[in-house]
Formats: sequence, structure tokens, C-alpha cells
Amino acid sequence: MINKNKKINYGLIFVVITMFIPFIAKDEYQLRVINMVLLYSIVALSINLIVGFAGQFDMGRTAFVGIGGYWSAIMMLRFHLPFIVAFISAGFFCAFVGFVLGTLCRRSTFDYLTLITIGFNIICIQIFLNWDSVTNGAMGLRLIPSPILFGFKFDTNFKLFYFAFFLLIICYIVIKRITKSKIGRAFEAIRDDPIAASYSGINVANTKVIVFSVASFFTGIAGSAMVHYSNYVSPYIATLYESIYQLQMPILGGLGSLPGSILGSAILVIAPEISRTFYEYRQMFVGFLMVAMMLWAPSGILGRDGIGEKVIGIRNLILVKKDKK
Amino acid sequence: MLFQYLINGLSIGSIYALISIGYNIVYGILELLNFAHGDVYAVGCFVTFTLIVMKQNIFLAIICGMLVGYILNTIVERFAYRPIRFSARLAPCISAVGVAYIMRNAIVKIWGPETYNFNLGIRGTQVEFGNFVFGTLQIYILIIAASFMLLISFLIKRTKLGQSIIAISQSIPTSALMGVPVNRTISMVYGIGGTLGVIGGILLCTYYQSIFIGIGFMLGTIKAWMSSVLGGIGSLKGAVIGALTLGLTESFVGGYISTSYRDAFVWGFFMIFILIKPKGLFPAQISEKV
Repeated sequence: MINKNKKINYGLIFVVITMFIPFIAKDEYQLRVINMVLLYSIVALSINLIVGFAGQFDMGRTAFVGIGGYWSAIMMLRFHLPFIVAFISAGFFCAFVGFVLGTLCRRSTFDYLTLITIGFNIICIQIFLNWDSVTNGAMGLRLIPSPILFGFKFDTNFKLFYFAFFLLIICYIVIKRITKSKIGRAFEAIRDDPIAASYSGINVANTKVIVFSVASFFTGIAGSAMVHYSNYVSPYIATLYESIYQLQMPILGGLGSLPGSILGSAILVIAPEISRTFYEYRQMFVGFLMVAMMLWAPSGILGRDGIGEKVIGIRNLILVKKDKK
Repeated sequence: MLFQYLINGLSIGSIYALISIGYNIVYGILELLNFAHGDVYAVGCFVTFTLIVMKQNIFLAIICGMLVGYILNTIVERFAYRPIRFSARLAPCISAVGVAYIMRNAIVKIWGPETYNFNLGIRGTQVEFGNFVFGTLQIYILIIAASFMLLISFLIKRTKLGQSIIAISQSIPTSALMGVPVNRTISMVYGIGGTLGVIGGILLCTYYQSIFIGIGFMLGTIKAWMSSVLGGIGSLKGAVIGALTLGLTESFVGGYISTSYRDAFVWGFFMIFILIKPKGLFPAQISEKV
């Protein structure tokens, strides 16, 4: 019990420190990058739920970012619904689409599932690009209103930081609770061994459907938040390249580790912004990193037996301190 | 027009077939989703392109490109795939994505992201044959691709290397006990895959009359993967027939249903197909490895 309390305290300290970032940040640009980190973290968390916890290699997650973004943009621009309705309904619509996709993938094994998700992503891009009357084609939709909650308008980067930050905290806590619950343990069981899981009374096919709908809900929410943040949506937020880029975030941070996803997205979003040279060699760096990690540390930085534990011994350090106390 | 679509579909399908043969053999042996396949052979295609621009002999250029594809793919196999050959399914896939990224960035840094004009010296003309009109370029491509396919099927059916490839695809430990040099054979399979990929890539560039970075991933890896799954994982016949089916589907959908939604329809058909027949048209006679 003591350990558990300690852990929550560490999280709280981190949260409190992070809350003061907008006061430390020098200009709008830095704040903007940090906001992007927060929003990408939600996507990374949802990818981690599918790839890291349930072990389904989904390469078409940005399709849901696109669907969520377009849904809430269209709801607000064409149907003039209030923000909160568009925002939440984007999540539920994505969960529904994820449910349909998951139903298609019910019996599919590894390769077929990956291919179906890629195909789904390509179909979505084509629809965004070509359904001119609704999505405005390659031009995208402009002048999407900023988030408004209870009459409070989040229109500057400073205010939007808190919007994204609290959204991330809520999503994090909910996903954390899900992974600790019975169904979350079922996700990990079907990742580790589907055959053994089915003998333990887990319905593998239905669990896949559930993980797809739950993760799609969060991806949709994140997509909607991204679109309302940048006030603009175009089909290029949902390309396959973007998909793989976002897939790298939880892989880098550590599959199956929720703080790892946030760390991974922070590294992958901030690093290219720091130096121009790095930006040019970004893909090569990430590529070498992925190969090297798969060879020596398949669980990423903060995953189980990952770099964090092996090299720096973060967890051991904390545990030793606790024991001394 | 029907005849034209048929010829177009067959020629693009035969290019996909060349690319997917190399992909499918590896896929059948190791069950590895080789995301790097397309980007590795794209490097070879760009080498060929550079040599052609430098006014070298075309055959020399093509052979250099093939050599680059062979060597690069064996190096990648040695350092990125072999150490994790027997770990969980996800690890080699992610490693392959990493290799794809390295190759793509190398291409962008060396040759730039532009689209270049690509010309092998084969000029296509329109030929009228009774009521039918078709381009000769597509016919040439079809003939070249078909001859390479015959060559590779001869290699697999008749030579010792081919027999050891089949043995390895059935069981790696058993074939190692029978004295098959497993590592060398797998490395050669990768090399052959890369070489065929370069030939396919050059034909693809000839077909589109241009070379750009997208020939690797979107036009290479993904199509090869689709045709492997369509035809049946791990079988040569499956790869060829799957690729031809894919080419014909693309051509007819583009011609008769919709050009802008072409990929969406092709993927839609494809998804329905693998839901109905998940093992593909001609599955290899291998039991699933638990």
C-alpha cells in the first residue's frame, strides 16, 4: 500500500511541475510545441493501448485522428453545434467506426489485421480528398472555432495549454484504470498468447473488438482536439506516413508503458524542432533508433526491462529509496 | 478500351509480380513483414537512374542497380533481421520499419524528394490491331517481366538453392539438420528478392516514365504485400497470380468505376476478399507454426 501511495505522489509532483510550464516558456512558439506534445501524447496513449497492451499491430491509427477531426469540424461548421457536443460526439463516432473495423478484424490474425488497418487508412484518405461537398477536398476546412467550454473560450496558446493538459490527464487516468481492470488484463493476455487466453475463458475476438472501440474513442478525441487547436483540418493529417510516425512514439517510449508514450511523443515532437540539421536527418535517426532498440531493448525506454531499467535503473533507484525509508 | 485496360492491367500486374516474388518468399520462410523491401530496392533504382543520367551503358546501369539491391538487402538481413529472427512477431516488423526509414532518408538526402524523368530508351507507340488500340511499352514490360518470372521459377523448381529454399520454408530446424546452410540461403533469398525488386522497380519507373521516392513504399511494399496475401503467403504461383489479379483490378476499377476513388475501391474489394478467403487463392502447403 505504501508503495502505491508513493507512486501517486510522484505522478502528482510531475503534474504540478508541468502546470507551471506556460509561465516558464519564453514565447508562443515554445508553447505551441509543448501543446503539440500534449495532444500527440493522447494519440500515443491510444496506440499504446492497441499495440502495446493488446498486441495488435495497427498501422492505420491516423485514420481515426482524421475521422475525429473532420467529424467535429463538420459538426461545428455546418451544423453549428456547440463545441462540447461536437467534441464528445467525435469520440463516440470514432468508437463506432473502431467497433466496425474491429468487427471486420475479429478473426484476423497478425498480418491480415495490419493490412486491413492500412487499407482502412488509405480508404479514409481517399474519402477525405475526394468528397468535396463535405470535406472541401485537398484544401481542407478552415476557420474551425477554438474550444469553448461553459462560455470560456480557449483561444490563446496559454489557455489551450491547460485545455490539452487536463484532457491528457483525464485520458491518462481513464486509460490507466482500463489497463488495471479485468478487461485490461484480458488485453495483455491476448497479446502474450491468444491460444492460452482463449483457454482461460477470454473471448479473444470480442476483446479485440473492445480494444479497437476503446482506443478509437481516445484517438478520435485527440484528433478533434488537434483540429480545434490548429483551427484547420486537411487530409494530410491522416496520411500513412503520419501513421507510422505516430506509431513510433509509443514504441520509442516503451510498449505497454503509459508514461513511456508521453515521453516518446515528447522526444519525437520536440527533437526535430530543436535543430534544423536534426530535422533533416529525423527519419534516419528514428530508423536507427528503432532497429537498435529492437535488437537490444525491445521494450523501449520505460517499458518492462527497457533501457530505463537496464541502463539507468530508474525503477531500482526509486525502489531502493523506498526501502531505506 | 477493354483490351487496353486488359493490357495495362497485365503489364502493371506483372511488375507487381516481380516485386512480390522476392517479398513473398521471405514472407513464407520467416513470416516477416518486410516493410523495408520497397525502400531498399528504391535505392538500387536510383543508382541505375544516376548511371543512366551519367550516360553510361544501360545494361551496365541496370546490372549495377541489381548488384546494389542484392548487397544492400543482404546487409540489412545480416544486421537488422538475423539477430531477432526468432523473437516475437512485432520486433522484426518494427526493425524493418526502421530500416525503411533509414533508406528513405538516405534517398532524400542523396537524390532529393523531387520527381525525375526516367527513360530507359524504350519508347512506347500506339499500335492499331484491327479494332484494338494498345501501347507497345506495356507489351515490352509484360515480356520482360514474364521472362524474369520464368527464370526465377526455374531457379526455385530445378536448382539446389531453390530446393533448399523450399526446405527452409517448411522447417528451419529440420533443414539445418539435413545440412542445408540456413543462414546463407536466407541471406541469398533476401538478395534475390532485392534484385528482383530492382528489376521490378525499374520497369515500374519505365511504366510511369518517372522516378520518385514513392516507388518504394506505396507502389512497392504495399502492393507486394497485398498480392502476397491475395495469392497465398509463401507460394510462388500465388505471388504471381495475386499480383496479376491486383493489377487487373486496379486497371478495371480505374477504367470503369472511378479514377479518384480507385485505391479505396481496390482496398475495399481486397478487404472483402481476405475476409472471405483469409488464406489467399493458392496457400502454400505449410501448417501454421505455433
